[in-house]
Amino acid sequence: MSQRKRVAHAGSQNRVPRVSRQVVLDEDDDGDASYTQPTSSQVQKARENYTPVQVDRKVAEVVQFILIKDQKKIPIRRTDIVKHVIKEYKALYQDIMKRADRIFEQVFGLKLVEIDAKNHIYILINKLQPVPGEPISMCPGNPKTGLLFVILSVIFMKGGTVKENVVWNTLKKLRVDVGEKHEEFGDVKKVVTEEFVRQKYLEYLRIPHTEPLEHEFRWGQRAEKEVSKMKVLEFVGELHSQEPQSWTQQYREATSGESSQR
Amino acid sequence: MSESRRRVSRGSQEESAAHTNGVGGRSRSERAADTGDEDEGAGPSGIHEEDDDPARRREIRSQYRDLINSVQQNREDMLNPANNKLIDVLEEANKLFANVRQAREAALDAQLLVLATDLGREKASQLHAEGSSFDPSAFAEHLLSFMGLNRLEEEEDDQEGLDGYLPPDAWQKLSKRAEHCFKTAPSFHYLLGSFLAEPPPPRQRVERQRKAPSKEAKRMMPTQLKKMEESHQEATEKEVERILGCLRSYYADDPESPISYYEFVVDPASFSRTVENIFHTSFLIRDGLARIYLDSEKLPCIAPVEDGEIEPSGNATRHQCVISISPSTWKEIIEAFEIKQALIPTVQMLTQEG
Repeated sequence: MSQRKRVAHAGSQNRVPRVSRQVVLDEDDDGDASYTQPTSSQVQKARENYTPVQVDRKVAEVVQFILIKDQKKIPIRRTDIVKHVIKEYKALYQDIMKRADRIFEQVFGLKLVEIDAKNHIYILINKLQPVPGEPISMCPGNPKTGLLFVILSVIFMKGGTVKENVVWNTLKKLRVDVGEKHEEFGDVKKVVTEEFVRQKYLEYLRIPHTEPLEHEFRWGQRAEKEVSKMKVLEFVGELHSQEPQSWTQQYREATSGESSQR
Repeated sequence: MSESRRRVSRGSQEESAAHTNGVGGRSRSERAADTGDEDEGAGPSGIHEEDDDPARRREIRSQYRDLINSVQQNREDMLNPANNKLIDVLEEANKLFANVRQAREAALDAQLLVLATDLGREKASQLHAEGSSFDPSAFAEHLLSFMGLNRLEEEEDDQEGLDGYLPPDAWQKLSKRAEHCFKTAPSFHYLLGSFLAEPPPPRQRVERQRKAPSKEAKRMMPTQLKKMEESHQEATEKEVERILGCLRSYYADDPESPISYYEFVVDPASFSRTVENIFHTSFLIRDGLARIYLDSEKLPCIAPVEDGEIEPSGNATRHQCVISISPSTWKEIIEAFEIKQALIPTVQMLTQEG
């Protein structure tokens, strides 16, 4: 395949030297996988160079790559997709991703979401609404989801930002002591401040000018996309036997969140 | 600077507490009086002598620290909207500040101010929240009930303040319900398992790197070892032969007088040469090329065995013994036998002579 490409490039070299120089530069970039926006002529050329079957195959590879990467729920970076899968098809990046996204939506019921437009980081979220009364999956629940829910709901109910001590104190009441090893979660502090942060469920930020050092929690970008504030509020209301509307401010935020996502 | 900040913080505090008491306005006027005092006290002329009294300053600092400690320790209590403890603390700080004249105390005042402002902000946020307030502790209690906490049963290792029994599937239960709030994509798994998600290439690279040097090492090792062994053996053999030559020439010079073993072996200039000589001479004895016997004074003497005397069957008369020598015994021997010169010349000496 790459030979075909090179032959094609060699052929064009004689006629259009300027374009060929660009192509050579691009090939040097392959190593560090930096992605540069291809020119429309490059895209055009790439479309001509690869057969539809080849491109289909690339799309399938990208889909599989993202599905496997998502197993650990660590956001997927564009540089990784380009470096490991797309490689010399780089000029067709936009085409391939658009088609991969369509496959996620139509075949898997998932949605590929770019959570960071600057660094191009993607996550997968579920597009399908759970059927009321039906279990979401046959697998036993991952207990970490519960832990995460507690933290996210405390942050949300406290107005979006919460000092770490509030979280640790709440967890302690739930028999989860940060200082001790928990039988289900292991090193709780590590799970919360490293795993959840890496997965972009939480942000763990230093509060400036604090002595001793203090940190605060916020919702991470994945949480913003993946977690429904309204559903959190409903569940919190259910727990308190209170109407979600009784938390006026939170209710307002949850409704605006729902409408902006639709 | 600290002055203006204090005003600001008081302002916000008053807002939050205005409906509960009327202290705010009064305290502000007091405050103004305080600052007036201060201006008189610490005029442009500088620090008065009475202001620099170390005992007094120490007392002020200690009071500040106590106050800061009590604020830190009773944080939750002070946040409670039902009381005015924060105001009380600020009143007290104002009283203390009236006597503050120097930067070190003022710094403590500023530290307390930071704490108080922080508490004030949090208190204000409680009031600001429209509708119901949210209390994480109450939330935790509700969650525990949801998770199936049995408050009647005692936890085996009962921790302070926590009673009741939490079933082992508590977090599972919460997770199952919480999942409804998440639009998490179900993660994808192969039915029959899969290879590790990590790509194998890096592992291969490591193997290749390991293989390459090991092959080379295998090729190198035997030649290197052979050489070392050969040269070592050769050196020993040569040395043994050289010593035999020495012994024979001394014997030939004067076959009648016995050669003292110690005089023969000891090199007065070098302990290590002495040990080497003993080592090499032992080969002569082992191979039956020399013999050791005791003279009339029971001192060991050495003599070469003449070719005709070699008796292959005379093994039965052979004895073994271990000779030990230390630098101190070596020195004693040199003194006792008055050894001035080595009987076995060193290799260097030989080459010089040659």
